[in-house]
Amino acid sequence: MTEWIRWTAPAAVVISVAAPAYAVQYLTVEEAQKLAFPSAHFTEIEAGRVWKASTGGIFVFDHVIGKHLYIDYAVAIEGGHVRRVDILAYRESYGGEIRSPSWLAQFVGKTAASPLHVGGDIRNISGATLSSLHVTEGVKRVLAAYGQLR
Amino acid sequence: MTVEMNASGRRFAAPLLPLVVAAVSILAMSEPALAGDGDAVSAQPAPNNVTNRELLKKLDAMEQRIKSLEARLKQKDAPSSEPKESAATGSDAKARSKPNKAVAQGAAVAKGATASIASSDQPANAEQTGKAAAPAGKPGDKAILGLVDSPVPGLAIGAYGEVHFGAMQNPAAGGQWQLGSDAARRFVLLPTYDITDNIIFNAEIEFEHAGSGFDNDDKLHGTAEIEQLWIDFKISDPFNWRAPGIDLVPIGYINQHHEPTEFYSVLRPDLYNGLIPSTWKVPATSVYGTIADGVRYQVMLSAAQEDFGDSFDCRTAANTVPPGSGTTPCTAGGAAYFPGIDGLNALTFSNPPLGDFRQLSNSLAVSGRLDFMEPAALPGLAWSMSAYYTPNTTPRGAHGDLGNLLGPSSLTMFDAEFRYRVPDTGWEFRGEGVYVTFGNPANLRANNDSDPTDNVGKAMYGAAAEVAYHFPLGTILHSEWEAVPFYRYTYEDLQTGGFAGTDLNTPTGAGQLQFHSVGVAVFPSPNLVLKATYQKVINRAPGGAQSDSALGGVGFFF
Repeated sequence: MTEWIRWTAPAAVVISVAAPAYAVQYLTVEEAQKLAFPSAHFTEIEAGRVWKASTGGIFVFDHVIGKHLYIDYAVAIEGGHVRRVDILAYRESYGGEIRSPSWLAQFVGKTAASPLHVGGDIRNISGATLSSLHVTEGVKRVLAAYGQLR
Repeated sequence: MTVEMNASGRRFAAPLLPLVVAAVSILAMSEPALAGDGDAVSAQPAPNNVTNRELLKKLDAMEQRIKSLEARLKQKDAPSSEPKESAATGSDAKARSKPNKAVAQGAAVAKGATASIASSDQPANAEQTGKAAAPAGKPGDKAILGLVDSPVPGLAIGAYGEVHFGAMQNPAAGGQWQLGSDAARRFVLLPTYDITDNIIFNAEIEFEHAGSGFDNDDKLHGTAEIEQLWIDFKISDPFNWRAPGIDLVPIGYINQHHEPTEFYSVLRPDLYNGLIPSTWKVPATSVYGTIADGVRYQVMLSAAQEDFGDSFDCRTAANTVPPGSGTTPCTAGGAAYFPGIDGLNALTFSNPPLGDFRQLSNSLAVSGRLDFMEPAALPGLAWSMSAYYTPNTTPRGAHGDLGNLLGPSSLTMFDAEFRYRVPDTGWEFRGEGVYVTFGNPANLRANNDSDPTDNVGKAMYGAAAEVAYHFPLGTILHSEWEAVPFYRYTYEDLQTGGFAGTDLNTPTGAGQLQFHSVGVAVFPSPNLVLKATYQKVINRAPGGAQSDSALGGVGFFF
């Protein structure tokens, strides 16, 4: 048993020092808005969920369940097309691969009419099957609900 | 819930009218209850004139009408009302900009309930929110078994399971084909609880072979076990700590992702049925994280594999193997015990016990993996390299049948594997190689157990290649089906020669194995799979492997 302690004690020390400074949150809503529409300022049109960019476009903040826990993500839509998708927070231990920029880039240009089908126009991520599936469904939902908003 | 919503203001504003309609619906549904109430009777229409169904129809019609009116109202009001909205809610934006669990839970409620929180001062948003809430109310989003929202914020319960049935050759019956089933090969509950956003509890509670009961009328002989149990401390992206618990050794792909929807054959891929002793779960602690985009690592410290494969009861109170010499089995009071590592079953029986401080050595093991996914040059590719090392697998008091004591022997394993789903096509390719080497095979029990056929050489290895094609089957029963025919070839050599120890060396060739697996997996949804697999097993033993099988399976994961 002492061997466990010998190995884990240093890690525990690191945690107690580092934990308060970090969350599983990668981007705040404001940061994601700036990434999506860099020069715009935003008008909230649905509390905590939907914003309109002054330069034209819609920013939607939403959640889906990955395998067990929530994934916070944001979809920027311009003229009915996806401009950008970002993962704001990912809480689970497996499946974080969906944060890959090249995977998220696949959503750019999609519309409410796109199939948005994992294994079709969106690649499956091996090891993050449920997360990739649910984020794709989420983007599809956001497009269905807000794709026509101008 | 109500309190939380009030506190968060109009965060998840929803139309008032649907809520009213819902309330009216509830009243309509409760008509029979009210009918007995004297005051209510006067308000009721004559029971034989208007039934519940008719009322509901009328309500549906009203709802449609309300929606169309809302839409028209929205078109008229939208341009003027939006700026007003921003003025009213702009100050809240900052406070909300950091999503927290309450927000997440709130969103879940908004998703799950068809009517979320009414906000009378946001008429212009009513339709938008209504639209968002409706498509988001998908049952798969629910935290408890995909069915209902969690009553406790942060708690989720998932599950997966497998059912196997079909015909198998039984080598113990001279290769006779026998029909059978494993009606609940495994059923696993997966509770997850995010104690905070950074501290997450995870477990897998597994019931195998339909449970564990030993009365004659139970006709069960299964297990119930904790397959995973750990708490993750999410510290920073590159460094997270998984506190000591029970965890899966990070070797290969299928050991950590062993849900039936992750592979296409009914049985797990053959490399994971011995060479990698899946489900390879051990008492362990680990660190993991993301080093760069698409590059993740995990390093684990765990209890070491044990070269002891006999009954748990054969462990002595002193946590040694049964002492002595001779060939009388320990289960019959003798000193002979089955090896944990042998040339026929590879590492199948070498997993360390998970409970009760009953491990047979002080040895620890270190394992680690590097995962790569979506390289810029080859989107759709994921691959990993992993390794395992322990300086010793020999248990306390280990001996041969001649009474010779056995010294230490290390175990090193390397694995490399890839999965490549070719973008914009249905093709998928997978490949894997595993190499295991032993520091001192002369100290392995299999080479000293008076059985000349199960000897182990300096190394064991295996390799597999698989090709699959994904066919969309279209929409059937309201979901998009997919069929995945596949073929997999596996080669394993568990007896590479150069045997050492006191045993005679006359292996039968049963340790040189080839598997041809062909079949189809049909996915009615990504969470559900129906499988059919035919497997031809070839080895070099005189009678052959006599282990072919034609199996069907049902698997689910949600």
